[in-house]
Amino acid sequence: MDRNLQPPPPRIFTLEPASGVPIYRQLIDQVRRLVASGHLAPGAELPSVREVSAEYTVNPTTISKAYGLLELEGLVQRNRGKPMTIAPLRRNRQALTQRLRQIESQVDSLILAARQLDLQATDLTTLIEQKMSEEK
Amino acid sequence: MKDNADASSDFTGTTRGAPVISLSALGKVIGGKAILSNISADVEPGTIVGLLGKNGAGKTSLIDVLLGFSPPSSGSSRVFGESSFELPAAAKGRIGFVPQQDELLDSLTGAQQLALNAALHPAWDEALIARLVREWEIPLDRRIQVFSGGERQKLATLLALGHEPDLLVLDEPASSLDPIARRRFLGELLAIAESPTRTVLFSTHIVSDLERIASKVWIIRDGRLAWAGDLDTLQESVVRVTLFARDDLPAELAIDGVVSQRRDGRRMQLVVTGWQEERQREVADRWGADVTVERLGLEEIFLELHA
Repeated sequence: MDRNLQPPPPRIFTLEPASGVPIYRQLIDQVRRLVASGHLAPGAELPSVREVSAEYTVNPTTISKAYGLLELEGLVQRNRGKPMTIAPLRRNRQALTQRLRQIESQVDSLILAARQLDLQATDLTTLIEQKMSEEK
Repeated sequence: MKDNADASSDFTGTTRGAPVISLSALGKVIGGKAILSNISADVEPGTIVGLLGKNGAGKTSLIDVLLGFSPPSSGSSRVFGESSFELPAAAKGRIGFVPQQDELLDSLTGAQQLALNAALHPAWDEALIARLVREWEIPLDRRIQVFSGGERQKLATLLALGHEPDLLVLDEPASSLDPIARRRFLGELLAIAESPTRTVLFSTHIVSDLERIASKVWIIRDGRLAWAGDLDTLQESVVRVTLFARDDLPAELAIDGVVSQRRDGRRMQLVVTGWQEERQREVADRWGADVTVERLGLEEIFLELHA
């Protein structure tokens, strides 16, 4: 309901559901292009999944998927409690996926233990975020 | 919790509980004719499923069995883990349904009809209904018999939303709505499925609606599921491949997953399912051809799967 009170975000994307290109792909391509052209500079905020979904009337899952893949690519970064932003530099692009790959087997065993304990992904992420912020 | 291989491909980080809907080898025979055959599919909470099919493909029959209006002839249909045909009252109370033919009472005013339905449900969200009445411009003070087709459809949809169902099932919704009302209506469905515990299943033949808001698509053809899966995956795996070769092409190219093909000497056009990008090079090298690959909109995919 509060979405009605917010000013509509500027339409920085052009999403065409009927084009045959999955919406998440359209979004990824457009963010890449906007970054390459400098229209989205490092630090620039991206509209939230919810805002894009409401503004374009498209399923939020496909937007989350696009943002998730852009994050893996190192092009955007997630910020706790704040909008996602364009990442500062692209030098970590390769390194992030490689580093994530190195931790994947530990994550797999964590997931296995979590399933056995009937824990949900959100329970785990909450715990991980908490632990990681404590250590800082 | 059921181990779901699909969960690993989920980037949203949303948790997935037990399936809301679970169909297993479901069949339905009416008057000796198989209306539904061997349908197996699960629906996770928080998804919007678009059920697509021609008239008479079995969409409404599937919804009837799913909601327990008629028993399956074979296999099983479960909703919230309970058998559809023996659904306990508590489970029924978590479902909202908008039938193709509304069940509004012509002699009542819109307001009277709303009050009647509100009285049947202990938890009725007055604020939500008041907002939607305003936004959807429903003339509550008029008798339902003078409502337009679109107004009837909007009111019938409201009646299914007031008790905030965990599962909302709509049979051909929005078909009488104008484009503006349709867009608002779709936005409302998205808002519902924003909650990770709520699920929407709607049947339609308006492909563009489905392309916008569905995360999963079921394509039903002659009572069978021709496709059940992510919309993204469907769009990525079905493509039109055009070959332009130096020499005449043979009648068959030995490409997997060909749905249809047209050949004209050195030129050939195929629609292929399960396409992967790396196959473009293989095909080009093998047949000495320039190969272009085009993505198809859902409407074209739908037509090709029915060709």
